[in-house]
Amino acid sequence: MKYMIMTFGPAAGLEGKVSKEWITEMIQFMHTLDDDLRKSGELVNNEGLAWPDQAKTVRFVNGAPVATDGPFAESKEALVGYWIVDVESEARAIEIASQIVAFVKHPIEVRQVMDAPAEP
Amino acid sequence: MRRYGQFDACEDAAQEALLAAALQWPIEGVPDNPRSWLVTVASRRLVDEWRSDSARRRREETAAALEPPVTAQVAAEDDTLTLLFLCCHPSLSIPSQLALTLRAVGGLTTAEIANAFLVPEATMAQRISRAKQRIKTNGVEFSLPPQAERGERLRVVLHVLYLVFNEGYTTSSGPALQRADLTSEAIRLTRLLHQLLPADGEVAGLLALMLLTDARRAARVGADGLPVPLAEQRRELWNAGAIAEGIALLTRTLGSTLVGPYQLQAAIAAVHDEARTADETDWPQIVALYEVLERVSPGAVVTLNRAVAVAMVDGPRAGLALLGTLDGDVQMARTHRLDAVRGHLLELAGDPVAAREAYLRAARRTASIPEQRYLALRAARLG
Repeated sequence: MKYMIMTFGPAAGLEGKVSKEWITEMIQFMHTLDDDLRKSGELVNNEGLAWPDQAKTVRFVNGAPVATDGPFAESKEALVGYWIVDVESEARAIEIASQIVAFVKHPIEVRQVMDAPAEP
Repeated sequence: MRRYGQFDACEDAAQEALLAAALQWPIEGVPDNPRSWLVTVASRRLVDEWRSDSARRRREETAAALEPPVTAQVAAEDDTLTLLFLCCHPSLSIPSQLALTLRAVGGLTTAEIANAFLVPEATMAQRISRAKQRIKTNGVEFSLPPQAERGERLRVVLHVLYLVFNEGYTTSSGPALQRADLTSEAIRLTRLLHQLLPADGEVAGLLALMLLTDARRAARVGADGLPVPLAEQRRELWNAGAIAEGIALLTRTLGSTLVGPYQLQAAIAAVHDEARTADETDWPQIVALYEVLERVSPGAVVTLNRAVAVAMVDGPRAGLALLGTLDGDVQMARTHRLDAVRGHLLELAGDPVAAREAYLRAARRTASIPEQRYLALRAARLG
């Protein structure tokens, strides 16, 4: 079963909010986590995203698509990165997410990827 | 009728009720039904034994008795069997068991397995190497499991083969041909296992189940890529050769050994496959077979399937009443299946508003894209 594990961060960015040490530890933590998931044969794909203030939103305006600056959702929290893992169960996906939450202290969303088999 | 006179001795009330269902067909004269799988099943009176300790011992003894004599000729077969047990070692996760079995016993390349499960090749390579590593560090020896464990270990092997089959059969996304390869591979490996353990009823039952199910492959997906329900399938597309082989296998097996869940599911598949049209389906026999299955291997999914069969015999309201017993079920709460079936039965019962709601709830729940589209279309048709 595949799950997307989505990490959220403050939409305004992290400047001035975290220490240099925290960032160093975070990078180390992410490296270790990725490495563990790769070695266990569970990591399908993972990416970090540019900060939401770099986002463009394409909207359907007056019958045509129009690109504007800024994120789609007016929210304090924004998607900053994700993992797609292929694991035995939802419980395992939540276990991975819990490891991340324990470190970053920000909420993580775990959602199943639509790849379940159809009914026979 | 006289042939089954020994059943007067049955003490179990439920079994008597089942038997009554089985015996009423000859009286009512169900035409053109060459076989009654249920009577074969019941006539051995082995159903109740399946879950008992004595039955477990017998299964283990059966497996133990199958230990090949030590000769050079059987050494290779012995190795294949040992390898299967090893790949399906209980210390491995299910995805690892599947991957390792396909790689080591099936001989598929890592790239082929990765394609089949829609993950990058590196992910699959790592999964396989981790699984091998785990077996090594656990100090698992390359030998057949001890006799006392063999029966239960064989169940794990059968479960893995069943999952490989399902992964291919209930294909969801990705190139369909690659998934069909998984189905063929599962059948090939189960056939191999059946050759190694010809006396095991559940191995034969699983092979029959796969053949009788896979026989419908060409008919079960429409040109639009959406699943076609059994009742609407073009039966002339079914593979008559596979059906004949599955039925022959089942005929040889049922009644000669303990009746287990795979044999019962195969018998149900056989009843479906024997009907020339959906209307000719022997639903009373299917209901009764599900009742037996529910006792041998109880579970919400079995009850759900039985509800569909009950609806066909006693009407949709009777099926819906049975579905109601699953409302608090934890397993059902996590899937879309209960609402999908409820939608179908509500539609049959002539309640399109409630049916539509049930279909939409199911569509939101499923993690299968073709299934979601199918359910959304069913709902839209009623809207």
